[in-house]
Amino acid sequence: MYYRIPEINYIYAMSLDEALELVEKLDDYRLLAGGTDLIIDMKIGRAKPKNVVDISRISDLKFIKDEGNYVRIGSLVTLQELVESPIIRGKAPVLSMAANEMASWQIRNMATVGGNLCNASPAADSAPPLMVLNAKLVLASKKGEREIPITQFFKGPRKTELRKDELLKEIVIPYEEGSGQYYIKLGRRNAFTLSVVSVAALVKVDDNRFSDVRIALNSVAPTPVRSRSVEGALKNKEVTYEAIKKASKEVLKDISPISDVRASAEYRREMSVALTKDALIGALKQLGIEVRGE
Amino acid sequence: MSSSEDPYALMEKWLKAKEFLVVGKGVRRADALEKAMGQARFVEDFYMPGHMLFIKQVLSTEPHARILGIDASKALEVPSVEGVFTAKDIPGENQVGYALPDQPLIAEGKVRFAGELVALVAAKDFDKAIEAAEKVKIMYDPLPYVLDPLEAMERKDILVHGEVGSNIAFRTKVRKGDIEEGFSKSDVIVENEYRTHHQDHVYLETEGALALPELGDRLTVISAGQYPHLVRAIVARVVGLPESNIKVIIPYMGGGFGGKDDEGPLVAAKAALIAKLTGKPSFLMYTRDESMLMHPKREATIIKYKSGASRDGKLQAIEVKIIHDTGAYSNRGPFILWRATVHASGPYRVPHAKVDGYCIYTNKVYQGSYRGFGNPSVQFAAEAQMDSLARKLGIDPVELRLKNLLRPGDLTITGQQLNESVGVADAVAKLAKVSEWSSKIKAYSSSNGRYRRGIGIGVAWHGISTSRGVPDWSNALVKIEKDGSVSVHTGIVEMGQGSPVSSHRQIASEILGAPLDVVTVDFGTTDAPDTGATHASRGTSIGAIGVYVAAAKLRERLNKLASELLGTSPDEIEIKDGKAYLRSNPEKYISWKELIKEAYSRGVEMSATGYFFLPKGKFNDEAGQGYAYPAFSYVAMVAEVEVDTYTGKVRVLRIWPALAAGRIINPTQVEGQVEGAAVQGMGYVLMEQFVFDNKGRILNPNLTDYVVPTALDAPEIMRPVYVEDIFKYGPFGAKGVGEMALIPAPAAIANAVSNALGVQVTKLPLTPENVYFLIKEKMGKKA
Amino acid sequence: MKIPIHFILNGEEVSVEVEPNELLLNLLREKLGLTGPKYVCGIGECGACTVLLDGEPVLSCLTLAVDVDGHEVTTIEGLAKDNELTAVQKAFIEEAAVQCGYCTPGFIIMIDKLLKENPNPTEEEIREYIRGNLCRCTGYVNIVKAALKAAEELRKNTSLIKIKK
Repeated sequence: MYYRIPEINYIYAMSLDEALELVEKLDDYRLLAGGTDLIIDMKIGRAKPKNVVDISRISDLKFIKDEGNYVRIGSLVTLQELVESPIIRGKAPVLSMAANEMASWQIRNMATVGGNLCNASPAADSAPPLMVLNAKLVLASKKGEREIPITQFFKGPRKTELRKDELLKEIVIPYEEGSGQYYIKLGRRNAFTLSVVSVAALVKVDDNRFSDVRIALNSVAPTPVRSRSVEGALKNKEVTYEAIKKASKEVLKDISPISDVRASAEYRREMSVALTKDALIGALKQLGIEVRGE
Repeated sequence: MSSSEDPYALMEKWLKAKEFLVVGKGVRRADALEKAMGQARFVEDFYMPGHMLFIKQVLSTEPHARILGIDASKALEVPSVEGVFTAKDIPGENQVGYALPDQPLIAEGKVRFAGELVALVAAKDFDKAIEAAEKVKIMYDPLPYVLDPLEAMERKDILVHGEVGSNIAFRTKVRKGDIEEGFSKSDVIVENEYRTHHQDHVYLETEGALALPELGDRLTVISAGQYPHLVRAIVARVVGLPESNIKVIIPYMGGGFGGKDDEGPLVAAKAALIAKLTGKPSFLMYTRDESMLMHPKREATIIKYKSGASRDGKLQAIEVKIIHDTGAYSNRGPFILWRATVHASGPYRVPHAKVDGYCIYTNKVYQGSYRGFGNPSVQFAAEAQMDSLARKLGIDPVELRLKNLLRPGDLTITGQQLNESVGVADAVAKLAKVSEWSSKIKAYSSSNGRYRRGIGIGVAWHGISTSRGVPDWSNALVKIEKDGSVSVHTGIVEMGQGSPVSSHRQIASEILGAPLDVVTVDFGTTDAPDTGATHASRGTSIGAIGVYVAAAKLRERLNKLASELLGTSPDEIEIKDGKAYLRSNPEKYISWKELIKEAYSRGVEMSATGYFFLPKGKFNDEAGQGYAYPAFSYVAMVAEVEVDTYTGKVRVLRIWPALAAGRIINPTQVEGQVEGAAVQGMGYVLMEQFVFDNKGRILNPNLTDYVVPTALDAPEIMRPVYVEDIFKYGPFGAKGVGEMALIPAPAAIANAVSNALGVQVTKLPLTPENVYFLIKEKMGKKA
Repeated sequence: MKIPIHFILNGEEVSVEVEPNELLLNLLREKLGLTGPKYVCGIGECGACTVLLDGEPVLSCLTLAVDVDGHEVTTIEGLAKDNELTAVQKAFIEEAAVQCGYCTPGFIIMIDKLLKENPNPTEEEIREYIRGNLCRCTGYVNIVKAALKAAEELRKNTSLIKIKK
């Protein structure tokens, strides 16, 4: 089977500095990390870059560091490295759970977390967990670095906050001690499929009341979204099934799903509510709190 | 031909065999080694870039339009482009319809669906061919189009084929008894409308062909296909050469499932056309999206079904209307509809039946052959009706089926009496036992809560061979070489099913008494006599009779020769373990190799063909009665499911299959067929579907959005129950298996979901979304 | 613009010139004559083009040929050493896990790798690991059986070696 990949000018960078120099200089370029999105986009004609800057060999961007209160993840860490990392499993379990459900083993060996974020698909599966973790993204350019909350990163389908001369350097995750975290993905089959809806939840409970609640979803809006409405509805509320059930419906205020080949908008709305509830119950369970109803 | 070589007599003789050397054993396939080493060659593996032309297709983007012009000027400017070829370049006939002459190879004058072939571009480099194809400009004058088959049936102003005067491409009917009388005798009547959808074969290997021109206007075509002689006939027609000038080789194929029976000859004809026009080796390989946009799909259907039964659970009457959305071309649609029509009752005794079938043109991708051939959809409807009746009658679904299942001597709805090989009732009874049906159905019927379990059964039948009096035959050439090795040449192809590489070897070895490892099968070639197609589950049944008969002829000769050499009568000769010996005195023997040597030195011909013509009756199309098939294979399946009522997600937990398919020649290969078909059927029911836009274009022609089951979706599949209901016109009594397990899968899984939810499913697929809304609509929202 | 690359392919050094937009799969199949890895979906959905890159399974249809420069690639053709089949290849043959054979190289590469990492996988772990490989013929039943059988064989052999020591 044969696809035509347009002729490209292939350049590789061996260091972050080299990469930054290239992206400042070049106009029409795309970065190649794992290739699992870019190569497909070039095959189907969604991307026709003149230049491809291969950053996959930059070893300074391949790290997962535990710094106590923070976990730092280099943007070229592969999804499989996320899955296998005891640091992630211990300190950001919701990210570990999400990565575990992503793609196939082969793709996880290639695809990078930075690539998953920068591709800015509304269905990016690493986004909801990072959003509930209040992750920050470090964007680097020749001019310097800036750190933004991940919630400000996505600007629309395949659009990000990145300037032309910038690239995603690392992801900083604050360690949320005492939180319960959970991730649920609903697809059209059991595995290795794009999300119809995915929900990540993070909760903290103090004296049987929600002291912190964070919910994020993908595939139900032009970008992955946090559901501030659900969060607001539960904050400081007593942990009960009824409260969770009622608050889950608030998710509808924060999402704007469309109908596409994967599902209808209506189904996505209904599933956002159902899975938000499930994710909250799942997150509480991680704290040893059993909530039952119906 | 000596009388001792009469094929019918030979079949009768070997059908009596009671003890077997290799038949009935799980003999390993001869191709497994090279496939496990990655050495097996498929069409694409013969491509040598730079040394042959690469062909790229230009497809219609319009559902219905007049072609005003084709501007190839920009495409021809691309370096290394050899040419842009359209309908007008075809030297032979631009006509490839199988059932009706309604289909061009390349669109001529107008296009009838988005995805139809309009032009072929050939270039030395593959990326140049693709680039040039993108630069071919087609000027269209859009015509009004029709996508919905019910609407198409009524409309006279929008015609997919103007010359037909209607969008009804073909009609079929069955009439038996008087349904008014039948319904008046019925204590319960159920009436439902069923809908089923398209399915893509998703054979891992897409369609491809390599055409090699040779001197003297000869062509060799290495191609996908399920019937080399049909591939050759279509190629000959399109390029305008005699069939004898064309040689077709069908190498290992990465799956067929019926799709390559339809599309194989077309891909071959396209490559052959370019080779003929340019005089250069020409290669065409569909991309996945081309394959999914172009090749025919499992028919989408609307089935209106009314059934009546008396209080004692006896079926009295059925009235069925079957509508097939055949798409832009009829292709094999009339045959598919015919099969659906005569199978509409399911394998049951029904005294009064009225069945009408309609094959409807629409401006969408056309329908075609797919494992089950019109039968999975109609068996789904028939079996959902049985469950609805069972519920109304308060009779257990299995019990209701057992009261009505066909038994030897019964008449089908076409009035054909089935005197032999009807093992279905036995199979269903055994299946109910192994699946612990009774206890489960009781337990699950009252299940509630979020996750609900259900169990369902589907029972089906499938006529053997082509329908009605349509001629069907088998053949093969079997040669015993001088060194004692055996070559079998057959037109049956190897597409994964394994008949040439396993059962054909077993049959030849069994009959000749030759060791299994000396038998080699040359398959999928027009060098073999016309064997018929590898479709309709006939690879190891009718398709293998040629091997069976040819080997039997040689065995007669060997027995005669050995008896002369050993001074006894031919009946006294046993051949096995590498020697021919006296049954009464095994010490008196001649080795296999010596025996063959003697044959060559004494003028005994060691090659034979195995022509066999299947005797058939007649069907009266006017009366809707008569002979439908020489026999039926039967299959039943029990499925156990769990439904998440909050999300609508269905998991198939376990599947129990049962077969009454005659002799099981190779249980290992049969299990492989059953397991694969069950999962393919499950994928069809739970997740596979095309999404069309408002112009009838497929929006998901890729494996990202047309999802098929992974290892994590596949259920546990139990060992099949076999009832070996021997059929006289099959090798050792085999009836055929390949399609079987798919046929009842929609029925079994849908009935299990119905059982779990307490709602009769009437529409496929059962995607989480569809199931969720079914629950919501019928049961009120729970979440 | 041709780019020269050097890499180890099935244990042997290879030097070849590639185009920047050339895919590893095309390089293997068309220039180097290794047709075991197959093109099926073209977009990373099927696993039929799986090869090992520095011992890790990757999809050769989504890998640029230039990116294997300096690395080690193993295809299905490189598994059997000195014509001795691997335990996984043997088990595929014995357990009838091969039907049409188009997906087979991808599955064998994957399961071979799995058993190196996890010599005693459960059925669930096997299914989890091969979730990115599609098969349309077998229903996965015999593929899973073959993986279990190969694992058992390998464990037996390893324990024999241990006893010898």
